[in-house]
Amino acid sequence: MRLTVNGIERELSTRPLDTLLNALREELGITSPKAGCQQGGCGACTVLIDGEPRRSCLTPLVAVDGATVTTVEALGEPGNLSPVQAAFYEQYGLQCGFCTPGFVLATTAMLERNANPSREQILEELVGHVCRCTGYVKIVAAVEAAARGDVSEAALEAGATGPSRREPEVLVPGSPA
Amino acid sequence: MKAVGARLPRYDGVGHVTGRTRFVDDVRIPGTLWAKALRSPHPHAGIKRLDTSKAEKHPGVHAVITHKDVPRNVYGHLEALGVPADEPLLADDDVRYKGQPIAVVAAEDEATALEAVELIEVEFEEREPVFDIRKAYDADAKPFHQWGPAFPHFGPYASRRIRKGDVDDAFERADVIVQGVYRPQAIEQLPIEPQVGLSVPEPDGRLTIYSCTQAMYFSMGVVAAHLEWPLNKLKFVGGTVGGGFGGKVDTATETITALLALKANRPVKWRWTREEEFLCSSTRAPWHMELADAVTSDGWLLGRKMITLHDAGAYTRFSSYGVTKHSFHHTGAYTIPNLRFDGYVIYTNRSPTSAMRGFGVTSVSYAVEIHMNRIAETLGIDPLELRLKNANRIGDLTANRVRLSDPSTVPVVLAAADRIGYELGAEFKQMTSEPRSGDLLPDHLLTSVARDGGAETDGRGA
Repeated sequence: MRLTVNGIERELSTRPLDTLLNALREELGITSPKAGCQQGGCGACTVLIDGEPRRSCLTPLVAVDGATVTTVEALGEPGNLSPVQAAFYEQYGLQCGFCTPGFVLATTAMLERNANPSREQILEELVGHVCRCTGYVKIVAAVEAAARGDVSEAALEAGATGPSRREPEVLVPGSPA
Repeated sequence: MKAVGARLPRYDGVGHVTGRTRFVDDVRIPGTLWAKALRSPHPHAGIKRLDTSKAEKHPGVHAVITHKDVPRNVYGHLEALGVPADEPLLADDDVRYKGQPIAVVAAEDEATALEAVELIEVEFEEREPVFDIRKAYDADAKPFHQWGPAFPHFGPYASRRIRKGDVDDAFERADVIVQGVYRPQAIEQLPIEPQVGLSVPEPDGRLTIYSCTQAMYFSMGVVAAHLEWPLNKLKFVGGTVGGGFGGKVDTATETITALLALKANRPVKWRWTREEEFLCSSTRAPWHMELADAVTSDGWLLGRKMITLHDAGAYTRFSSYGVTKHSFHHTGAYTIPNLRFDGYVIYTNRSPTSAMRGFGVTSVSYAVEIHMNRIAETLGIDPLELRLKNANRIGDLTANRVRLSDPSTVPVVLAAADRIGYELGAEFKQMTSEPRSGDLLPDHLLTSVARDGGAETDGRGA
């Protein structure tokens, strides 16, 4: 099996009927796709296959021979986040982080197709992704911010030297912060 | 004060959005084996025979453990508080819930481990299960638990008890008795990260345990107790939890991977499937709550009698702690002077229950708030005004005789009414949390206000 994963062509020895999720996690050590339910129910294993969000836990490796696979590791990296990553970071569209790679990839693919989605379209596109922490309010806010391009330079550069050490922004002028 | 009023960046946010956060399942240690459990297919059965020899000989299998491999098989989270233990790590002579682990295999990969589990031979003697807490507490029910139908270790009592004032007198004086039964059911916490643990034997004889627990030092103590090891031989790595919501308070995978790792002398990982999460992991408990309130026709709550049956499932775990919290909150956000409360921890053949967001309290809040509406309906008075009239005030004593210094019932009810455009009577709109006086301090509440502003007790007693 041959795959182009995050821009690198790979030859895989994982069995053809094993899942793409296992090939990515166990053979290639790419761990952002998560084994949340392994039944196609939660969306935590989502990757982009030729640009489209797909559940890697339900995808046999043989079905994607020759395809291009993108995981969240390739969208951006600490210090150089993609606008969608930066929006999720800045708008608190995450808590425990386990579902976040799936949401970020699905959002990235949606905005490629439709740069200006309505709230209804956002909910429709992300309906297959389960988050148990946030209640979705902040996630939808993050997607809307990403669509508007409302992402700060600081967020795009977050994590440049390890964990962010920036001083907090002051909301109330003159406050002792 | 740099945090208040500021939008602080999440310290873990960059890791989450870039896929760099390392959850337990993402830790890569060369040579890691996979664990799979043989779980009980029955909710209640005796184990007549258990033979793991074929599984042990299966190619690719490195270790199989049963109850015989656990230095101290029965250990309880509450032993440190003097409560004896009732739950075996691995089933011994019986199984008491569907999904209870009996034996666990460590093999080269997941598929081989599953094959080996299929090769374990068990002979069960099926027994009648009980699933309903009310039926389990019937006089003619046959308890399966060695302690009987209910947890017997609330001090000298079989229930968590609250006795306050003279409840019989309150019921004598009542204009109306309002009764209700409330039965919220089990809820699975359902974190997106399933239970997962990884134990690594180190060359110096110690164990490194990667854990998704919500309670690191609790889990460390539990593993050390089962292994009969000193704590300084365990290194726990945790704090990165893919959602827990109470479901990761119990120590689910750490001890078993530790035992397998020691037996195989290899790192061992155990990741539950979603099916195991639903079938075998602890849930929020089902509850059965019976309430009877003595009320006056103008809406004063004079007294409350309450019986709570809490479904522990097959073993106690933290249930007695949950019922104690429940008892402290059984008057809700209201001040009731005369109380008789009994909370029982009942055993059924369901998965053991545990914490979930507001352990023990959400159930009683649900019951109390519906009951308040029922009282308002019975008396034909406004449900919000009923709440404001009986609301906790500064200086009031709670069910467990703690003096309230900053109760929020009044402002919360007023704010809620305001937000939904709910019209309240003039006297209620003016209400505050200030100490009772005048019409709001009728004779029956004199004993529910702290004397000299001091606490009657320190409120401890879990």
